[in-house]
Amino acid sequence: MGESVNTLAFLVMALAAIGGAVGMLTSRNIMYAAFWLLWTMLSVGGLYLLLSAEFLALIQVMVYAGAVSVLMLFVIMLTLRRREDAVRSLDFSPSAALLAAVFLGIMYYGISNATFPEVALLAEAPNTADLGVVLFTMEGGWLLPFEISALVLLAAMVAAVWWTKGQDRR
Amino acid sequence: MTGYWLIAPEVIVTLGALIALFGNMLPGKDRTTALLSAALCVGATAVAWLATPGEAIFGGLLTSSAPASVMRVAILLLTAVWLLWLSSRGYEGERSREAVAMALFSVTGALLLTHTTELITMFIALELATIPAYMLMGYRRRDIHGLEGALKYFLLSMLTSLIMLYGLSFLYGLTGTTHFGQIAEALPGTGTLGLIAAVLTMVGLFSKLSAAPFHFWAPDSYAGAPAASVAFVSTVPKLAGVLVLIHLVQAFQGIPGIELVLAFAAAASMLLGNLSALGQTDTRRLMAYSGVAHTGYLLIGLAGAVAVGGGQEGYLATTFYAIAYSIPSLAIMLVVAEEGDSVADMTGLATRRPWVAWAMLAWLVSLIGIPPLAGFFGKLYLFETGLEAGLAWLVLIGVVTSIISAAYYFRIVRAMFLAPAEEAPDRPAGEVAASRSADAALVIALVATVAVGVGASLVMRALGWV
Repeated sequence: MGESVNTLAFLVMALAAIGGAVGMLTSRNIMYAAFWLLWTMLSVGGLYLLLSAEFLALIQVMVYAGAVSVLMLFVIMLTLRRREDAVRSLDFSPSAALLAAVFLGIMYYGISNATFPEVALLAEAPNTADLGVVLFTMEGGWLLPFEISALVLLAAMVAAVWWTKGQDRR
Repeated sequence: MTGYWLIAPEVIVTLGALIALFGNMLPGKDRTTALLSAALCVGATAVAWLATPGEAIFGGLLTSSAPASVMRVAILLLTAVWLLWLSSRGYEGERSREAVAMALFSVTGALLLTHTTELITMFIALELATIPAYMLMGYRRRDIHGLEGALKYFLLSMLTSLIMLYGLSFLYGLTGTTHFGQIAEALPGTGTLGLIAAVLTMVGLFSKLSAAPFHFWAPDSYAGAPAASVAFVSTVPKLAGVLVLIHLVQAFQGIPGIELVLAFAAAASMLLGNLSALGQTDTRRLMAYSGVAHTGYLLIGLAGAVAVGGGQEGYLATTFYAIAYSIPSLAIMLVVAEEGDSVADMTGLATRRPWVAWAMLAWLVSLIGIPPLAGFFGKLYLFETGLEAGLAWLVLIGVVTSIISAAYYFRIVRAMFLAPAEEAPDRPAGEVAASRSADAALVIALVATVAVGVGASLVMRALGWV
């Protein structure tokens, strides 16, 4: 019983994510495309929840569905003054379709023939506090990548400021 | 130097970057910032050189090795030379302290990359090494072509980063670990998906090293960018990228078929790079294609090493060639930044600044691969590995395309020494101002080109060649 409910929930979430991605690519109005993307991000958040990754699901909803999509809507609002500008042309490119089909074929072949290792599930799903220990302490082991990502953000921020500010004193 | 001292160079360089962000407060501003940063890089070199090989820190996220130490020294010294040059030349129309800070952030990423033996650290360090490069490529904010080139670089680089991330997720799913050593053990038994994951992962690095068929961004973004930025971006982060590619290939070498992928990329890069460079009139574009070609030569070494089942010689030859290639190309781009972007701008350089023209000749000759300069020994080691591995067809392409490369390199030589003065375009800026620190940077690069060539066996021994 529990297994089939899980599978059903997974199928709903997965199809919603894929459907949202297709909707984003095929809607001519980029405003709609942005909302389809929001839909996809929420569905992916649901998938994380199914994996008992509550923290990741929360971050997915807060950062991607919350902040990133609002940011995108703001960009659309600030850059496109007229309603007609938001409508884009959709070109169908046969070569891109062929490339995508070949890629899909290769990935399908690879995944259907792969043997994934058996991983023993943890007795208890790790919670947010466990994640904090892993990320923020030396014993956790992942402090270094976390600190490097701080530097990445700093560099990206300086670059953004450099490009957006006007002429300055030398 | 043991334990956490291993990351002392990264810490020093990061501090330099943070100081450079506050360069406004230093007396002398741009010039002091660049000189201070260059001094910090030289100091970090000494610390990097003293590292004990084979030591793991952060629970195995970073591991020191002899090739990594040599690469770190090369990265830091090249950066110091670039900063020394920048301290007097700067960027036309822009202040240069932010460029110094960004370059140092990129160097921090590059230094971390040389030691990383784990996928997550590798990915984030790779991003740290490349994100500042986007800004450097579009450093002139009012230059629409520069911004277009930077945007192209950013979009393509991000796309390939995502493909790489897709590959990394499969690697983790197949092996249950992110450490290179354990991946190498688990991957050969995983069948086709292992090969697919490995290829997807390498796509990201191929693009960052501008190897064909993922090189499209390079010519356009180099041609829009300030030559001084190209000098840095096309050499320093690349050095680290080569070492990471070596570490990854070492982890993948048990997968059947991987040497064919490497050999294909090598052949495509050598042919496309050298043939496309022939018709170029912009030196930056020419050097971009030449960079594609040189990445192709590097891949011969990797393909050869995999073909013989993990020959150390091939990996060391690749490391050596990366260093031997990057010194001359940094120096050539610095001269381009001084003299002008098109090949015609070099006209009459031999009469205007004779010693610079002769130095340019030495760097170009090293890139072609004529003894006794660094490039010759680099190619010698690479072709030797290729032949020993039975990849004669690949070595043949390498030799033939090296001869082709002489054709376009000698167009620059002809402009410098032989072209009549009428071919020179009008030079609105007039003479290049004399500058002792910029000249010193070029002299150091010239000495290094000769020294790495004459002392090739010493460098190889430092890399761990037995």
